[in-house]
Amino acid sequence: MLGILILILIASTNYQNNMGFMAGFVLLAVGLLSVFYTFRNLKGVEVRCLKPVAVFATDIATVPVQLVNNTKSERVGFGVGFSKRSVSYTDVGEQAKSQVELTLETRKRGMMDIPRIACASIFPFGIFEAWSWVRTPYQVLVYPKPIPCPEPLVATSSGIEEGQTQEKGSEDFHNLRDYQAGDPIKQVMWKAYARERGLYSKEFEDYVGEHQTLSWESVAHYEKELAISYLTDAVLTAEVSQNVYGLELPQETIDKGQGPEHLHSCLKALALM
Amino acid sequence: MNVKALPITRQGVIPLLIMIQAVVLFPLWFHIPFWISAVTIALLLGKYGMYRQGVKAPRWILLIVVLLCVGGVFWQFKTLNGRDAGIGLIVLMYAFKLLEARSYRDASLILFISFFIVVTAFFYSEAIWMGVYLLLSVLCILLGLVALNSPKGMQGIGSLGKISGVTLLQALPIMILLFFFFPRSSAPLWSMPTDTQAGSGIDDTMSPGSIGALHTFDDIAFRVDFEDKVPPRSEMYWRGLVLSEFDGFTWFKEKHSPIRQELELPMTPTYQYRIQMEPNNRNWIFGLENLAEAPKGAYLFSDFTWNRRRQTTQRFIYSAQAYDIDFSQRPLTEFQQSRYLQLPDDSNEDTREWAEEQRSNHQSDEAFIRWILSYIHQGEFYYTLSPPVIEIDSIDGFWFDSQQGYCEHYAGAFVYIMRSAGIPARVVTGYQGAEYNPYGDYYIIRQSDAHAWTEVWLDDEGWRRIDPTAAIHPSRVEEDLRSDASSRDGWMEEFGSDVGFEAPEGLMRNLALRWDAIQSFWSETVMGYSQDMQFNWLRKLGIERHQYRYLGYGLLATILLAGLIFGYLVLRSTQRLEPVTKYYLLLLKKLRDHGIDCDRTMGPRDVLQLTRATSQKVYARAAPALKTYISMRYQHETLSPEAIKQFKQQVSRV
Repeated sequence: MLGILILILIASTNYQNNMGFMAGFVLLAVGLLSVFYTFRNLKGVEVRCLKPVAVFATDIATVPVQLVNNTKSERVGFGVGFSKRSVSYTDVGEQAKSQVELTLETRKRGMMDIPRIACASIFPFGIFEAWSWVRTPYQVLVYPKPIPCPEPLVATSSGIEEGQTQEKGSEDFHNLRDYQAGDPIKQVMWKAYARERGLYSKEFEDYVGEHQTLSWESVAHYEKELAISYLTDAVLTAEVSQNVYGLELPQETIDKGQGPEHLHSCLKALALM
Repeated sequence: MNVKALPITRQGVIPLLIMIQAVVLFPLWFHIPFWISAVTIALLLGKYGMYRQGVKAPRWILLIVVLLCVGGVFWQFKTLNGRDAGIGLIVLMYAFKLLEARSYRDASLILFISFFIVVTAFFYSEAIWMGVYLLLSVLCILLGLVALNSPKGMQGIGSLGKISGVTLLQALPIMILLFFFFPRSSAPLWSMPTDTQAGSGIDDTMSPGSIGALHTFDDIAFRVDFEDKVPPRSEMYWRGLVLSEFDGFTWFKEKHSPIRQELELPMTPTYQYRIQMEPNNRNWIFGLENLAEAPKGAYLFSDFTWNRRRQTTQRFIYSAQAYDIDFSQRPLTEFQQSRYLQLPDDSNEDTREWAEEQRSNHQSDEAFIRWILSYIHQGEFYYTLSPPVIEIDSIDGFWFDSQQGYCEHYAGAFVYIMRSAGIPARVVTGYQGAEYNPYGDYYIIRQSDAHAWTEVWLDDEGWRRIDPTAAIHPSRVEEDLRSDASSRDGWMEEFGSDVGFEAPEGLMRNLALRWDAIQSFWSETVMGYSQDMQFNWLRKLGIERHQYRYLGYGLLATILLAGLIFGYLVLRSTQRLEPVTKYYLLLLKKLRDHGIDCDRTMGPRDVLQLTRATSQKVYARAAPALKTYISMRYQHETLSPEAIKQFKQQVSRV
């Protein structure tokens, strides 16, 4: 643009062409104004970094960024990215929000720092670029990469030690059996009794699957990272097959449990080991 | 910037680029060679077709066509240098660039080059409508830039168009100030080969006998602005050339060199004026008699004519002063005597003998001149624009046989007679008279005002202007010698009565004069704005030296001022806070006033605790508001206007 402007002004001077000067100065004035317009395109937009979801190592992490435009005018081509050269542009309407998801490649397990986020805009004329850096307060939790262990992990299951795989409990309904004296009255199947089919008791069981404790000992002879990956895989397998599992790590022991939250705490412990 | 995120395949970008190219090239199509216009139109249409079909032109074909076109330009202009060839080349390359545009960068380059293409059209015309067209083209280019830089392309072009329109309007005042201050140069930076074109106007030869019908043109030759005094119209003789060499048929301009010593003659200034001359592609310029000091950029010659070094290919504006010159102090030199008495030996002998004989009947030169003029007045001499053609001895034929002609016939014959009688004489050509434009308070001199008159040398007086045409009896001036403007009025009235509409007298004429006044302002003040004018107003401000430095200050001030004003306008708080946040910020400010060191980075619970720890009194008043805020922010999804109102009241009680 500067080159064209200089060319126009030289040609106009040489031919003493005032109309050429006008065109040149319009261009110059537009350039001058575009400094402000481009800057304004970033101004007044709140950039909210949301907490990213944890991913497994070598997967792509998504960093959600919410753009909130509190101003009276639309923001066109608001670019967000990890560098000015890789921003993606979105429009944010007046008094509106829009969400951008930035992606980040992960390598190792652990807490990964999110690089500073570039907010950049070249709208309206592409003559200037305005930009700003935003730091997110979050980190991405990267779980270890799960690798199936070549040999079956000796599940030092506490359940096996106790010689029982099932424990009667009260959490999950399992099956019906004949009423025996002493059964809690709450477990009586009153519906069946009402239909004169006799007294039955509902049998409850705490956990359906096996009880295992995954311990560091069982993989300790492998290289550390590999061992962590094996344990991660074992944790995932246990969760998928709805087992009750606990984790015993050198610094940390996680009691037996099941469910997404339990899984997360296990994986987190492995990630941060 | 991430240009990959803005591909030109977005909706509507390529059709918009095609449209912009068409808009920008349109005025050039009338000036550049026909085949170049045709090629560019074909390229634009081709690009549109390829866009619709989704095909791309192979590069090697493009390369061949480009080479052919460059060859064509060279063949047309015999050079690739110079203005016209350069423009032809750049226009072709511009159209080709679109054909192979693939990325954001290509499109952006095309749009910025469009600004330059717009400028090239001004080398051909600086008319007022070109100024209007400039704004239109710039608007289109800006629209293109906005669409190119918007992720959605042409979608929502209404609001994008608003941005470009507003920016253009805001750019105009800055443009005007920059235009005003930007230093101009009085001469070109380098001289470019000029492309010669035939110009209309007065020639440097005159052969009246050869022309059977003189066509008069209504084109404007120049406009004149008098400073204070205005001469009567009958005295407005606009001197252009002196023709003093005669070969029996044609009068020629003498070959001469610049002079300056004539300024030593006693002179009294008479009229001060300013001329805005239309391009005539000649070196000579015109001035009110008598001419003395040459205006800037021109020389004064010994026959009291002005010449420029360069041809007037663009409007030329100059100021000059008319003088009364006392020639009596300095007699003609022998060389001048012989020059102004020179006659070819072998032609027009009848007139020569007649003149010698008549002179001997009169006691003085002056008496003889008076007698000749009365001879024209009383004799059967007619003024016509379609005189018979006289092949041999044109003066004899005119003076004795046809006695019909226009000013050139009369001036030529008169000088011939004077020289034959031994009185030094010469033909002067230029313009006579003017039309007053009351709307712009200036005078218009048209090509149809072209005139030829004479000057004779009287020993005790010097050069005296004599206009033999003026001696013709008015009854013998052809009836239909009306100017085009007045005949248009006649037509208008006739037409008006036919359709039952009575045109006010001279309506067309008044409109024409008004329009001319606007055009004159445009071409003199706007297009004619030059270093001269710049230095003139600086002088009025008392700046006589370091003008460029002051212009530089002006430029700098413009940019700073524009930056401040528009920076404020564009960037002033555009933020409209959502009400709850607004009142919360107000609450925090009030708490700070009470000495509680809180700010926006703290959570409201922390603020609450800090307040409790700092002052029980403030806590008692602020707690309800803070608690409401916490519940509004962290418990309720939607807020009723009442709740917001309540929060506002709680804040106001703090």
